[in-house]
Amino acid sequence: MNNSQASGHIPDLDLITHYSENCRSALSRASPWTKLVALIAIIIILTIANSVKLLVALYALILILYWQSSLPLRKLFDWCLLPILFVLSLVVLLMWNEPGVPLFSIRFAWVSLTLTDNGLLLLIRLLLKALISMTSSLLLLMTTKYAHLSAIIYRIFPSPLDQIFLMSYRFLFITLDMVDSMIRAFKSRGGGFIKSMSRQSQTFAEIFALVFIRAYDQAERVNKAMESRGYDGTYTTTTEVQQITPIEYLILSAFLVVVAYLLLF
Amino acid sequence: MAHIHLEDGAFSLQWVSIWWILALILVCLCIYWMRKMKNNNNKVLTIAGMCTAASFAIFQVNIPLFGGVHMNLTPLIGILGGPVVGGIIVFIVNILSAAIGHGGWGLIGANTLVNITEVSIAYFTYRGLAKAKLSSFSRAGIATLTGLMFGNITMIVIILVSGIQGVTQSRMDILYGLSLLAGVNMGVAAIEAVLTGYVISYIQKVRPDMLLEAESLV
Repeated sequence: MNNSQASGHIPDLDLITHYSENCRSALSRASPWTKLVALIAIIIILTIANSVKLLVALYALILILYWQSSLPLRKLFDWCLLPILFVLSLVVLLMWNEPGVPLFSIRFAWVSLTLTDNGLLLLIRLLLKALISMTSSLLLLMTTKYAHLSAIIYRIFPSPLDQIFLMSYRFLFITLDMVDSMIRAFKSRGGGFIKSMSRQSQTFAEIFALVFIRAYDQAERVNKAMESRGYDGTYTTTTEVQQITPIEYLILSAFLVVVAYLLLF
Repeated sequence: MAHIHLEDGAFSLQWVSIWWILALILVCLCIYWMRKMKNNNNKVLTIAGMCTAASFAIFQVNIPLFGGVHMNLTPLIGILGGPVVGGIIVFIVNILSAAIGHGGWGLIGANTLVNITEVSIAYFTYRGLAKAKLSSFSRAGIATLTGLMFGNITMIVIILVSGIQGVTQSRMDILYGLSLLAGVNMGVAAIEAVLTGYVISYIQKVRPDMLLEAESLV
């Protein structure tokens, strides 16, 4: 269930799929269309909202839904590290000398940097937005079955974008296993102990090259197999996706009211 | 690959929409071009799907250099697949990345523009250097570095034009901050250039037919 050679702070796709197939919460029974529209509404809210109170309330609501769906909270906090680092890497450069009440100042040679309350608020706001965006995406992925996601992709995207998307989504798990086994083999032969930068780069490059070569070979084999079964460039998904229920329409209306309010006021 | 590591809410709704529309126009052009390609169309689709999966899988690997580096190898995708297939691949990789919290959904448009720049510049530089009598390692390395440099410039232009919500610094101050970030990105780009150089020279030895797209002018 775990692609162990991959970084621990990147969401594990095998684990995500395991939860999406086995989750039995109220959210997993909801229509995937409702969840998709709700995610879009959340992204729009994040784009236009500036109130920290609203963002905290939204994050709390999404965390409760995540916890109620019996999804792994500890894993979620591990996965949060990367988005937090991304936000910090840029905002740490931009949060200084904002107008407002000074909190503290640092002096480097001829440069004086002052952190104000508004600078700190900017950091908090962007961190909250990053966490809300990531948690709601994972909530959608971990409560929606693979077949339903595929059906949504098939219906939303034009051909051949949908075909490439669906194939890459199917191949992703095989490729992840392939990368995992190659790195495991590399480490079991003492590869992890190599310290020379040039040797390390060359070894990883060979692994990556092999991943692409094997992926290419596999694609050719899969294509031949599919063509022999009548594949003509159209990869049809026949799964029925459940429709939005009246209660879900009400919930979506509430989201739309919030979006409209934020846009107008 | 260069990537605007900002999450949703960093850009205003107006700029999110503008970058999304521009990216969708480019992706639609790629789709139109792909539909026009009649020969081996199914094979191209399958290979593009596999390359997308490989790129995303490689992104998950932590390379133990300078404390850990991740890369999607977008210039490599450009060299292997060309700008049309590469453009579609980076769009899908950006959607998959946003789904796991690596860049916001609203920034998929901006990030796709950055990555299409990388893919296209790397591809045309690699092809352009064909007559320069350089080794495939050097050609791929130069192409990657050039692609990532232009990707970084596109990223800086996009952030400067859009501005970041809540930041009142002048564009000049933002540019200073972004230059520092671009410097770090170019450091990672140098590692990616070496890796891509090795990958291409390895593929050249083992499966030269995979490089037909980029070598077809030679």
